[in-house]
Amino acid sequence: MEGDMMSFKVQVESLNAWFRDRQVLKKINMQINEKAVTAIIGPSGCGKTTFIRCVNRMHELVPGARVSGKIFLDGEDIYAKGTDAVKIRRKIGMVFQKPNPFPTMSVYDNVAAGLKLNGVKDRKRLDGVVKESLKSAELWDEVKNDFDKSGASLSGGQQQRLCIARALAVEPELILMDEPCSALDPSATARIERLMRNLSKDYTVVVVTHNMQQAARVSDYTGFLYLGQLIEFAQTRAIFENPRNKLTENYITGRFG
Amino acid sequence: MSRLIDTGLKKLSSLLLKMGDLTEKTILLSFDCSTKGLDQFDKVRVYSETLISSSEEIEEKATELLARYQPVASDLRTIRSYMKIAYDLARCGRYAWDISFIYRRFNISYDECALPWLPLKDMMNEVERIIHTCIDAIRKRDLGLVEKIGEIERKIDKMYIESLNKLVEQPPIKTKCVVADLLFVRHLERIADHATYIAESLEYLITGQRINL
Repeated sequence: MEGDMMSFKVQVESLNAWFRDRQVLKKINMQINEKAVTAIIGPSGCGKTTFIRCVNRMHELVPGARVSGKIFLDGEDIYAKGTDAVKIRRKIGMVFQKPNPFPTMSVYDNVAAGLKLNGVKDRKRLDGVVKESLKSAELWDEVKNDFDKSGASLSGGQQQRLCIARALAVEPELILMDEPCSALDPSATARIERLMRNLSKDYTVVVVTHNMQQAARVSDYTGFLYLGQLIEFAQTRAIFENPRNKLTENYITGRFG
Repeated sequence: MSRLIDTGLKKLSSLLLKMGDLTEKTILLSFDCSTKGLDQFDKVRVYSETLISSSEEIEEKATELLARYQPVASDLRTIRSYMKIAYDLARCGRYAWDISFIYRRFNISYDECALPWLPLKDMMNEVERIIHTCIDAIRKRDLGLVEKIGEIERKIDKMYIESLNKLVEQPPIKTKCVVADLLFVRHLERIADHATYIAESLEYLITGQRINL
């Protein structure tokens, strides 16, 4: 059993989630492969965002919210008693729908913020990590001569890549993205999508998206959530060419949702 | 709920069914031209050219649907299959055109070449049946008919091999007849092959499974 578990980056077992007495996730079982992009799709209110917020233990921060079930990250149950939620969150990078750079910080400080918070003070090390993170986020060439300008002064697409660089700086085990392109124009969207593909060479990425074509373009695996249940999970090609479940078929072909 | 893509899919389906009917008509007319010497070669040629241009029209419209709607799942399979079926129907029409003047090309007649031990008539009957079943299967999206097409094709294949053997063992006296008969059975066998490809495309369209009949 443990051997099986270790072959996946994340293993979700019987995950349930509630907002007070309203159950929003029902017995989710999912295995997320390492160094791959997994897309979570489904209509509004199906539990996509709640799902990824459970994966980095953010769901429990909402008053009245609770979770049951298990989520293993590299074989370690992140909901096991005594597990430090803050420590877990440090291992998991999160990119949100709306770019949210720290508005009062410079580009450099935005990227270095996580490391500084973890106590890193060595300027040389910080410089190296900031440079590498910005390169990985495909932002380096655009900001390398202007480190001191405010993160908030960048364009929307650049801000989102800055947030990705910020997440990468702490060398996360997993990157979660919640509708990362929904506020971006097509050109900025294309850059983020290409970035997701490139990141999957080194990282495990889970992306929540409303955009079917985006899921089809960027992901290796796709899970379809509906009314809090995981209806189908398979390789992306199988989901978009020959889904097994009628609900999946109807959703992705735009018959409802 | 009607979707924007549905209008395009409906149009494709209607074009394909029209092609199916015309293919059947073209093949039957080509048989009459070759076996009864009916002087309708130009008509068969026009039909065949219409089938080719219809196939191109389907390809154009299908490409537009792909570009505009990025279809997935059954929509995607439908478009892919329709494009392939349209091509196969056009090929059937092209073989029918060749069949229509096969004996005339050599200034001979079917009657003097179709020796009693050659199963030409039976092959034509089976080709007529396989094409009719194909069009029916497209119209009804009937998996039972897909299986039936496979059965007929195997029968035609058997008759094709039998014809080749007979043409070697007991050939007609005129070399021209040997060549014409040989081409005739070859074209019939190719039409049956394309009918089988159509059946395989239908299986993929309906179930998502790739099969080899």
